[in-house]
Amino acid sequence: MANDPIHQFRLHDLAGPVNIAGYEISFTNSALFMGIIVVTITGILLLAARKGALVPGRLQSVGEMWYSLVDNMVKNVLGEEGKAFFPLVFSLFSFVLVANMIGMFPYFFTVTSHVIVTVSLALFVVCLVVVVGITKHGLGWFKLFVPHGVPLAILPVISIIEIISFLSRPISLGLRLFGNMLAGHIVLKVFAGFVVSLGALGGIGILGAIAPMFMAVALTALEFLVAFLQAFVFAILTCVYLNDALHPSH
Amino acid sequence: MANPRDTKDQPDAKLGDISSRLKDLDARIAAEKSEKRAAEQPSMKYQGASDYSKGYRLASEFVAGVLVGGLVGFGLDKLFNTLPLFLIVFLLLGFGAGILNMSRSANRTPPTAEELRNMPKPDDDEDEDK
Repeated sequence: MANDPIHQFRLHDLAGPVNIAGYEISFTNSALFMGIIVVTITGILLLAARKGALVPGRLQSVGEMWYSLVDNMVKNVLGEEGKAFFPLVFSLFSFVLVANMIGMFPYFFTVTSHVIVTVSLALFVVCLVVVVGITKHGLGWFKLFVPHGVPLAILPVISIIEIISFLSRPISLGLRLFGNMLAGHIVLKVFAGFVVSLGALGGIGILGAIAPMFMAVALTALEFLVAFLQAFVFAILTCVYLNDALHPSH
Repeated sequence: MANPRDTKDQPDAKLGDISSRLKDLDARIAAEKSEKRAAEQPSMKYQGASDYSKGYRLASEFVAGVLVGGLVGFGLDKLFNTLPLFLIVFLLLGFGAGILNMSRSANRTPPTAEELRNMPKPDDDEDEDK
């Protein structure tokens, strides 16, 4: 096994390179794991909803908590008219959560540790905000960039800053998730690598390996927390941004 | 019918019984609640993790602002062939946007800490690892 902490993020084709119109659209391990994620989410939720018992069993109550977590979040942030966005937020949350959780298995690939995946999700959200904002409020939505009560003299500067601030949303939303997952997995791998290479020395090395061993265990627990928290933050920020589309005045 | 005293005494006694049982129940509920609260104290862990994530969030908001400002400036420079000019201007504006992002994100009612507590536990994945 390679002791290289970056090795786990490598993409490779599973079915040979496929090119269409100059673009490579090979089926990679990332695509495979995205498929696994979707199947996992669908499977868990279908199994959870299968019985529909009045008193939920274990799996069903997991499904209900999962649902009501997102439901509360959408209701709290977006209000009643945000109901329409529930499926979107639920899908995003589930995808990111399950992607992060599946990434915690050894030898599994973490889809969300690639910036292209996370920033694509974030860009999709922000583009949706623009589209929804303009369809709901017409050109009046652009008042989002013109805060009221600002002196006319500095208004252009403030508007530009507001626009840059808006444009930076997909970057910060995507980079945060990507950075957390990447950094977490690298740190985990490095500490685990210490254990292996110190342990290989034998004698004192095994003694020295105890500390990074505990560290790796503790970090694993922390990583599970981060995996959930980042999915949660991603979903709640999606709601907050969509709120800008629905109610542009802040 | 029997004399009214009898029937009156009976419910009174029962009522006393019920009210004492109610009090008992209240006490038990209160005990349960405080127990539950004590059990929820480990959500200090959530607190700590959310502080960490809050810090990370603020940092990334700021970096994103500067980054986007620099990119916009660089793009404009490429467009008009005035290389350092817009890059400098928009980097500075990007700093402003970063600060704005940060202050907005800090002033936003922090969702993670308190809402995690109000919301039901999402998944049992975490519990297994505690």
